[in-house]
Amino acid sequence: MKLAFFQGCNIPIRIEQYAVSAETVLKKLGVELEIVEEFTCCGYPVRNVDEKAYIIPSVRNMAIAEKKGLDIMVICNCCFASLQKARSVMANNPELAVEINEILAKDGLKFEGTGTVKHFLTVLHEDIGLEAIKKQLVNMVSELNLSVIHGCHILRPREVTLFDDSFVPRITDELIALTGATSLDWRGKLECCGAALGGLNSELSQTLLQEKIDGARDAGAQFVTPVCSYCHLQFDTTQLNMREQRQDQDVLPVLLLPQLLGLCLGIDEKVLGIEQNSTIEPLHVDNLKALLGPPVEKKKKRKKRPQKEAA
Amino acid sequence: MKVLVGLSLLVFLAGVTYRIYGWLTQTVLTTDKASTGRPSAALKGAMETVFSGEFFTLIKTFFTDILFQKRLLNKSALRWAAHSLIFFGFIALLLMHGLGTGVSEFFFRDYQSTIQPYLSLRNLFGLMVLLGLAIAIYRRLTDAPQRVKSYGSDWLAIAIVGAIILSGMVLESSKISSYSAFTVMAEDYGGITEPDELLPLETYWAAEHGLVSPNIAKPYDPALIEEGREIAGDTCMECHAPAQSAFISYSLAKVVGPIVSGLGDEGVVNVLFYLHIICCVGLLAWLPFSKMFHVIATPISLLINGVMGFKEPGKDPANVVNRRMVGLSACTHCGSCSELCSSLMFYESFQNDFILPSEKVQILKRVAAGQKVDEQTLANLQKGLYICTSCDRCSEICPSGINLRELFISSRYQLLNQGIPETSMLSHFSFPLSLTRNFIDDHKNALKKLEKIFKDSFSKLKDLTSITVSDPVQVGTDSYQSCYACQRCSNICPVVRLYDDPVAELDMLPHQIIFSLGIGNKDIAMGSQMIWSCSTCYLCQEHCPNKVELTDIFYNLKNAAITQMEGGRA
Repeated sequence: MKLAFFQGCNIPIRIEQYAVSAETVLKKLGVELEIVEEFTCCGYPVRNVDEKAYIIPSVRNMAIAEKKGLDIMVICNCCFASLQKARSVMANNPELAVEINEILAKDGLKFEGTGTVKHFLTVLHEDIGLEAIKKQLVNMVSELNLSVIHGCHILRPREVTLFDDSFVPRITDELIALTGATSLDWRGKLECCGAALGGLNSELSQTLLQEKIDGARDAGAQFVTPVCSYCHLQFDTTQLNMREQRQDQDVLPVLLLPQLLGLCLGIDEKVLGIEQNSTIEPLHVDNLKALLGPPVEKKKKRKKRPQKEAA
Repeated sequence: MKVLVGLSLLVFLAGVTYRIYGWLTQTVLTTDKASTGRPSAALKGAMETVFSGEFFTLIKTFFTDILFQKRLLNKSALRWAAHSLIFFGFIALLLMHGLGTGVSEFFFRDYQSTIQPYLSLRNLFGLMVLLGLAIAIYRRLTDAPQRVKSYGSDWLAIAIVGAIILSGMVLESSKISSYSAFTVMAEDYGGITEPDELLPLETYWAAEHGLVSPNIAKPYDPALIEEGREIAGDTCMECHAPAQSAFISYSLAKVVGPIVSGLGDEGVVNVLFYLHIICCVGLLAWLPFSKMFHVIATPISLLINGVMGFKEPGKDPANVVNRRMVGLSACTHCGSCSELCSSLMFYESFQNDFILPSEKVQILKRVAAGQKVDEQTLANLQKGLYICTSCDRCSEICPSGINLRELFISSRYQLLNQGIPETSMLSHFSFPLSLTRNFIDDHKNALKKLEKIFKDSFSKLKDLTSITVSDPVQVGTDSYQSCYACQRCSNICPVVRLYDDPVAELDMLPHQIIFSLGIGNKDIAMGSQMIWSCSTCYLCQEHCPNKVELTDIFYNLKNAAITQMEGGRA
């Protein structure tokens, strides 16, 4: 299976370890990714300013992938939502669709709607499948509590993103469960990291982030696991910036899902770039590695855990 | 001729001095403060680098990035081929042929312009340059970077280099065919003046070496040719390889010869000679003032990039400004950056040239050189600088190793400080900027200007004296009309719950905004702080029992508010 890897703008320059760890994990599981040089920004950053300007780039990106005959795989939630939104607009607004295709024609491109856009989590969960991943596991962790923050734009609006159940998502938890770690039920799990307000209403943005950091810590999280690149940057960079002003708290370290999964698949932590996360200290990596052990069937124990209401 | 060469050399040296002076004194925008002590900082930086472990980085950069042009090869094999052909062809011609016999003999022992392999090499190198130029022209015409314009100066550079090579080749071919050149050489080098020796030699030379003689015509007498061959063997061939060796000029001579002969060969050779010289000295004199200055600036830029990379902020602020100026003059306007620009498609929506990095550099060059730029252009430049995803692809790709990232970020804030309000600051382009912790105060101050415009542009709920119902408003969807006032949206909003008195902080809560649309009042909705405090988490929209698309409506209101703040009616 081969997919066009849509990395967006943040990941290649600011979160390279997310791309590398995802790529390595997928390679191990038989999925090949192609980097497409012509992909541009998804359009998301301009959405506050001009809705049409927001849609056009994503249509173009999808048209490029279509031309290559590849489906797109995305990690960043905001890119994912932009691409899915553009697809929905092209299907439901024929007038605008014609107009955008005229713009694309300048580059010899046309959006047909033949390709699909998949989130990295969907590729793991559906295309590869839990059982297939399980077979490849060489390690599992024990006693590891994570606060997953799904991020908003992967889940909502559900009519557009078409990902999981937007009220009670299970894909991420099931993937985490494979590794033996516990995805905690905590109050920020389905909420906003504040990134959308960063730089234009930074105070509010940081208040929202602090609320999530506190929530995750209160729930007993050892690590926070963001899905979206914007959430990642909030926890991994803004958190440290905030801490320069108030040093009364320990930093809540970030561990990405493909980094955890990669460890359990026997991939070296250096390759997974765990220490490239700014919030990670060498001690964290040592602690993580100490939790690794041979895979054991722990499913029953997890099933006993009472399912709390999400959100 | 010596006067011409001397003059152009003076212009060249003066120009280079002026440009280097510019590197060390000019700034992109007038508010640039780190402008004292820049020459000494540059010297110190250069010395420190040379006398440190970085010296080997410099050597490595010299070979991989400057001579081999690895960055360009990574970008495009075709462009690399074009550049390499022109570069190596031209440098080889310069060293072997252009800089005078002294230099030629230094690099090529036993060099003589009329013997092999130099006759063929000269043509070969010329051909390389021409091929490279042909690819460059082809690329500019057909494979040009999308949306990047070619300027007159881009074409002029190609034209001048092409003119040097072509005039040289035509000159050589006219000399091959020239009868007067033949008689002079026969006399000077062979001492042949007597007709009984001259005629066979002339016949042989006309038959086999492209000479066009007024005295003899086809068919040539084979006996005379043979006789001439012997004479030539004794007197000429020792230091004159067969003219065919100059394979291009020899072929060209067949076409050019008769014309030259008809026009008067002595005069034409002279004219062509001066044309060739004028092209050469013209390039020399023009070089410091054109994009061809990149032959000096780009290697320096690449060396700086090799040592510092583009991610490092730079230790000495004076040298950061120096690097910026070197970078500006290292740009060849090749368009590689714009081709890969992440914001490429925003150009389609905003039709602002300065969204493209290559065009930003062009205008910044003009600004740095002190040219007057009007307010509107500056406003466009500022917007172009802001509509940037901070993906750094331009800096990574730049074949000249220009630190575009640093150049653009500093220019952006220097412009913002000049006071033109920038509505794009309200976009998510601000997010990566908030991560870097640079220019924090400048950013805040620029936002304050926007806040003031925002406050002045719209009326507030509390200013409303009576409620009137107007026609339905356009917000991209009619779903707001389905609201049945359950207030679920405001109850689930993570922003609303942060405040003890949310209405005081946000002007209106989500359900109130929907109400105001319901009565046809878009103005107070656009003017509410709520829309700029919305975290776009979509919880309200997801939880609305009547499928009111609140977050989408908020986006629409933000778009409209920005349009209105820009001065147009929403």
